[in-house]
Amino acid sequence: MTTRAMQEIENLRTVVIKDAWPYWLGAIMLGLANICIFIVTAAPWGVTTTFVFWGAWLYQLVGGHPETWSFFTLQPPMLQALKGGILNHGGSIMNIGIIVGAFLSAAAASQFRFKRIKAGRQVVAALAGGLLMGYGARLAFGCNVGAYFSGIASMSLHGWVFGIFIFVGAYLGSKLLVKYFM
Amino acid sequence: MAEFSLDALGEACPIPLLKVQKKWPDLKGGDVLIIHIDHSCALKNIPEWARKEGHNVEVEEVEDGVWDIYIEKTA
Repeated sequence: MTTRAMQEIENLRTVVIKDAWPYWLGAIMLGLANICIFIVTAAPWGVTTTFVFWGAWLYQLVGGHPETWSFFTLQPPMLQALKGGILNHGGSIMNIGIIVGAFLSAAAASQFRFKRIKAGRQVVAALAGGLLMGYGARLAFGCNVGAYFSGIASMSLHGWVFGIFIFVGAYLGSKLLVKYFM
Repeated sequence: MAEFSLDALGEACPIPLLKVQKKWPDLKGGDVLIIHIDHSCALKNIPEWARKEGHNVEVEEVEDGVWDIYIEKTA
């Protein structure tokens, strides 16, 4: 191979594997992924409903009985999915795919590392933020994927309402961020 | 021409960029600011901001997932 060709391959490798892809390309990829998911599973992409199942299975492991919760008893398909276990649950497979995929892309770019926690308030903020996002996502029938992205793509008004309140939340969140982390 | 450095290791976006913007008025033309980061999105938004403001930017990969960003303030 000529030096020129080697150089071109190296450049291509840097652009595809190492550098961040532009936002518009990510948006197209996400759109295509959502179309595939809709064709295969007959439902638009969602992430957080799966966390209900992960929580319920964990609760079962320690002796709890989430199958008596009205979330499951009033929704027979949900109860069926709960009984089917994690390996028969498409949403779980997709979420595991997101985690594994994110790891692989960071590892391929040689960017994977365990980061040290810099301050206790990072832990407090992460836990509080996670709980608020999880609680909010359940009340809103989804997160920024299930409610916002899939909602708008399905021509549902709730996606737009979600979008407006993302901006409100981001505005308040950035004020808190500057106040407590700068 | 002074050199300043900022430690933003362990900080998630957008904190590193906000730290740079907060420090920025302390620099005079020709001064250099070096920011240590380990969050890949800061690798995108800090150079983007600095170049848009018209300053020279260079990025050095220190080790896996750790970078130093050099920004030279134009006069």
